[in-house]
Amino acid sequence: MSTQQTALKGTVKERAQLALNNDFLRQAVRFTTERLRSGKLKAAEEHGNWDEWRERGRQIRLHTIAHLDYYLGEFATNARENGVHVHFAATAQEAIQIGLAIAQAKEAKSAVKSKSMVTEEIHLNQALQSLGIEAIETDLGEYIIQLANEAPSHIIIPAIHKNRYQIAELLSEDAGEQLPPETSVLAGYVRKKLREKFLQADIGVTGCNFAIAETGSIVLFENEGNARMVSTVPKTQITFMGMERIIPSWADLEVMATLLPRSATGQKLTVYMSGISGPKRADDGDGPEEMHIIILDNGRSLQLGDPEFQELLNCIRCGACLNACPVYRHIGGHAYGGTYSGPIGAVLTPALKKNVAEWDDIANASSLCGACYEACPVKIPLHDMLVSLRRRKVEAGHGNALESAGMKGFAGVMSSSKVYHSTLKLGKLGQKLVVRDGGIPAKIGPLKGWNSHRIAPSIAKKLFRERYGELKAELGQQVKANAEVEQRMQQWLKGRQDGGISHE
Amino acid sequence: MSEREQDWLKQLDEQALSKQEQFLDMIAAKLKRPRVKQKPQRPFSGAPDFWQQYELSETEKLDMFQRNFEAAGGYVLHAATLQDASVLIAEKAAELKALHILRQDEEPLARLGLEQALPHVQVRCWNNDETEDWKARAAEADIGVVLADYAVAYTGSITLLSSKTKGRSVSLLPTLLFALIPRSSVVTKLGEVLKQFDELGRAELPAGIHFVSGPSRSADIENDLTIGVHGPGIVYAIIIDDII
Repeated sequence: MSTQQTALKGTVKERAQLALNNDFLRQAVRFTTERLRSGKLKAAEEHGNWDEWRERGRQIRLHTIAHLDYYLGEFATNARENGVHVHFAATAQEAIQIGLAIAQAKEAKSAVKSKSMVTEEIHLNQALQSLGIEAIETDLGEYIIQLANEAPSHIIIPAIHKNRYQIAELLSEDAGEQLPPETSVLAGYVRKKLREKFLQADIGVTGCNFAIAETGSIVLFENEGNARMVSTVPKTQITFMGMERIIPSWADLEVMATLLPRSATGQKLTVYMSGISGPKRADDGDGPEEMHIIILDNGRSLQLGDPEFQELLNCIRCGACLNACPVYRHIGGHAYGGTYSGPIGAVLTPALKKNVAEWDDIANASSLCGACYEACPVKIPLHDMLVSLRRRKVEAGHGNALESAGMKGFAGVMSSSKVYHSTLKLGKLGQKLVVRDGGIPAKIGPLKGWNSHRIAPSIAKKLFRERYGELKAELGQQVKANAEVEQRMQQWLKGRQDGGISHE
Repeated sequence: MSEREQDWLKQLDEQALSKQEQFLDMIAAKLKRPRVKQKPQRPFSGAPDFWQQYELSETEKLDMFQRNFEAAGGYVLHAATLQDASVLIAEKAAELKALHILRQDEEPLARLGLEQALPHVQVRCWNNDETEDWKARAAEADIGVVLADYAVAYTGSITLLSSKTKGRSVSLLPTLLFALIPRSSVVTKLGEVLKQFDELGRAELPAGIHFVSGPSRSADIENDLTIGVHGPGIVYAIIIDDII
């Protein structure tokens, strides 16, 4: 039983094809993302002044990342004062080593886990299992996909791609008896089964939504209560935290608590928000006796000082960009092939991996429409980053030779009006062979990719260039706008030149 | 903890400290500047200014808390006194045939007199006996009873702080939760509670600070809302006018 990392098989196109052929998946992803997206829009509108909150969220994240060395140091010092053992790991391997060393020292037999993208990123479960330590995901959705041996396909709803019949089948096998495909029965089974696991487990593993520098506290957001279980019942708690999770103070948490749940699910606050400041106090009756926090870099620092990508570290992992993305809504999370999917995954995965060429094709799985930026509660310009990624890929020589040749040809044609005009004329003549009903359906040459799903338009019978003379003459005859309108337009133009009108 | 284990932990901590220096130096280098060792000046912190001014009247606060808490699937009851609250809890316990109740070890909760009101129910008081396995007692409890430290109207949340007498398990493991909320502890917005933690400072914070906004829930199976996945599936907030 492990949450296997789907190894990067094939290209995004091939993986997306799998998704596009799976009707249920497509429907489920669309339905869920639509529900989450409209929930978010409603919550944002109801709360009001959403852009001011976004801007404040962005400012807090920008400030913290710009002074990350200070705040991380402050956090570590305060967490140690609270009695936490704080560790730093430069790579996934180092984080795993530390985690396993702790588990071995505790002679742990089992570990219960609440949802954590970082532990998915470093493949903690497989590592624990290699030592014979059972690693149990306790979030309902994560438990299901762990049984299915798959990776999460959505940051917030990991089992978004499974229907209740598939889930009933998985859980029945786990239970050793036939369970009906009814949500309450299935959830009830998991509750009972996991109760035992919580009470038996030697180690509780959590992620970390935010870490508060001034008091050395970690903050967890969740709806089920499993993160509270994991951080209350087992004797030892290990928290894995991305190094960028820091915010300075509890006052700043109000902003994050306003942005994160509304953006993720449209809730005013998740059912549970827990601030944990160290292991249990000496006379407390519960809470972990020993607490470790492992702070992970694993490629995050590659974004620091990079003007195009530093803002990537502002991400609060809400999933709003996934729900807003027209591409994600079609192909689902697994097509992205990494731990993180959707627009954030398309940028983060190559960024964490030092932009390795093999990952870069997911940067192309985007329409650059900017819906991700609009949805982002901390205003990360993801669509700009996708363009930068594509540019870097070409600069690094991972471009497509045919595409480069095509672009060169295009440049040649477009930079001379004479050549452009004669090409069009030639095209008009040549297309006669392939035009059907005013379009070009032939899947030949450079049109093959486009025409697999659509029909290319044909060149107009009379070109715009050829009509331009008449059009200009027509325009000249039109009555002048009245003076008042004219003046208003002039003023508006002037304002734009002064930079007075912005798009935001 | 064995001596060997302690030595090992100490060694681990020392390694972590030297690793920390490398780690933070690396961050400063990537940011192309020397290490920042002084607390940076902040142009902004916390919520936007207009939000700091937002304040509801007492009636509005209570209404809003109720609306939000109920929208999240919780129930809100009102009681004039502790005695009234005790009746509400006893009625529910009898209706659901509860066998075990676990309450926090707090004076107002003792004054509920649940032991006398429910003679056939095992009523326990958190952590009043060191030899007891309290997590197991919480897991078997049908009903947990806690006293809220604060309630937040705008998000419909109850705030619970842990201590020797206030277990984290009591609000988590039982099937049903009763949270008593003194009317005077309801505030308008989250920030009013959070800022107090900044003011208290690290050394004064409890190990666990929990905001609870309704029953445990999940929509992980086909978006079908399920209640009570891990935490309590039924949550009652009882707002009490007068706790004396």
